[in-house]
Amino acid sequence: MLYALMGLGLSLITGILNIPNFAHGALFAVGAYLLATVAVAIGNFWIALLIAPIGVALLGLAIEYAGIRRLYAAGHDYQLLFTFGLALILSESIILIWGPIGYSHLPPDLLRGGMDLGFTMYPKYRLFVMVAAGLLVVATWLFLEKTRYGAIMRAGIENKEMVSLLGIDIQKLFTVAFALGAYLAGIAGALTAPIRGLNPGMGPDMLGIAFVVVALGGLGNLLGAIAAGLIIGVAQALVAAYWTEASTVVIYAVMAAILLVRPQGLFGIR
Amino acid sequence: MKKPVVLILISIFLLPVIVRPAIASEIWLFAIFGLGANLLLGYTGLLSFGQATFFGSAAYVAGWLMKIQGVNAFLALVAGVGVGAASAAVVGYLCVQRSGLYFIMLTFALNQLFYFTAYQWTSVTGGEDGMPGVPRPAISGIDFKDPLVYYAFVSLLFLLSLYLMKRIVDSPLGKILQAIRENEVRAEAVGFNVPRFKLLAFVIGGAFSGLAGVLYAMLFGIVPLEAISFVFSGNVVFATLIGGSGSLYGPVIGSFVFIWLSESMSTVWARWPLLLGVAFVFVVLFLRGGVVEAWHKLSLKFSSGK
Repeated sequence: MLYALMGLGLSLITGILNIPNFAHGALFAVGAYLLATVAVAIGNFWIALLIAPIGVALLGLAIEYAGIRRLYAAGHDYQLLFTFGLALILSESIILIWGPIGYSHLPPDLLRGGMDLGFTMYPKYRLFVMVAAGLLVVATWLFLEKTRYGAIMRAGIENKEMVSLLGIDIQKLFTVAFALGAYLAGIAGALTAPIRGLNPGMGPDMLGIAFVVVALGGLGNLLGAIAAGLIIGVAQALVAAYWTEASTVVIYAVMAAILLVRPQGLFGIR
Repeated sequence: MKKPVVLILISIFLLPVIVRPAIASEIWLFAIFGLGANLLLGYTGLLSFGQATFFGSAAYVAGWLMKIQGVNAFLALVAGVGVGAASAAVVGYLCVQRSGLYFIMLTFALNQLFYFTAYQWTSVTGGEDGMPGVPRPAISGIDFKDPLVYYAFVSLLFLLSLYLMKRIVDSPLGKILQAIRENEVRAEAVGFNVPRFKLLAFVIGGAFSGLAGVLYAMLFGIVPLEAISFVFSGNVVFATLIGGSGSLYGPVIGSFVFIWLSESMSTVWARWPLLLGVAFVFVVLFLRGGVVEAWHKLSLKFSSGK
């Protein structure tokens, strides 16, 4: 489910803005660290969970406004370099502020311990993450599918010129899309913090996965990204259970294969 | 001789006086790496985000050959060039079938594939700790243990690479690659087999990367896992862009600036990649075209000011 969130955000950005966002993993990490800091500072996990992703979205807004906005006309090489530089800045800032050593963050009291599901015991917090991420995915999907602005966004993926010809401010659309993508990355990071703990390497790790998900789902294919996120999550867990060493290698092999055989993604129609 | 060549020769002689020979060597070997990357990025217009694949594979194979098999340096270099070219042939063959964002993501995916293979294959590569203890064997009695001698060797190979690359770029092949960069459809229409030429650019670039990789392993006596990571791929793209892609000397200047800055910063401040990131952003926003172009603009300004 978390992979689906990450993939959805990145797919939005790559789909609408047509930019390979190499800072997506770093945004994810910032979300996690913000959550931990705010939660410790004000002593309330729930408010922190609300604030942290908004902080990341604002960061995304600032990034788009200050930099990416000027790069739409530039080639992919410069866009890539820019987001790559951003990723460096963000992850090094994380080390500067929070230190190079990873630490763990406990879930709130309410969600500690396990829950008896009848057939197995399952940690409460993981259940919560699954439900929360699921709700978020559904909410994002509803927003994109059922609201007017969501329709405009999807239209933006299909044909940017047509959308701007219809008198819609495409620049604003780009900004909103980037902020929304950043928000999704941030909340995915925030939700992850109590499960996997915090360490500076979490960004690059997640970045790779997010790109795999986007490739598998198809660039700009939002529903595909959700499905691919689920598939990758399950597949990785399965491979990890049977052949631990190969789990990451297999994932990138799948990504390469998909890009070669079905570049439109598993669920693409075009 | 032309001006840039004279400048390069002067800097080759001056550099070891100013900085440690190890850093000086790293500058020129990274320049070889940059030359290879630039053939793709600057001349063919292909942004490969996986150049470290060839660099790292060659470094690992050559390192293993020298360390375990006791192969001499000359053979190891040949092997490295071969591995670089071969891995680039495989990766290139797959990647040239896609373009745009898909191409970039594909080079990235394959880079990650190699990275995690190296990461997991600890018995050979040492995994996260890298492959230590790579020797620096002598060639026909010349002892490379002396850092200055090794520096001379690297510089020589760099000059050779530069000369070769100049010949390639000026050859009909180089012109065809530039034609592909400018207008792929037209190049195809004129009758060139575009994928084949792209692949050729990959292989040649890979061979240069491989050479640089082996020199790197011999220089530091270790093949770190980072040498095959996508961050390293990003570094060489950056060094090329900072110098100015599409010009022969761009990546040379780029590596010079990049390695010098990063090496001198890293001793002062452990968090120097932060400044590196700032530099990336700065170059993209304000200095597109790199040092070479900035120099041109500057000299234009001065000459018109007179």
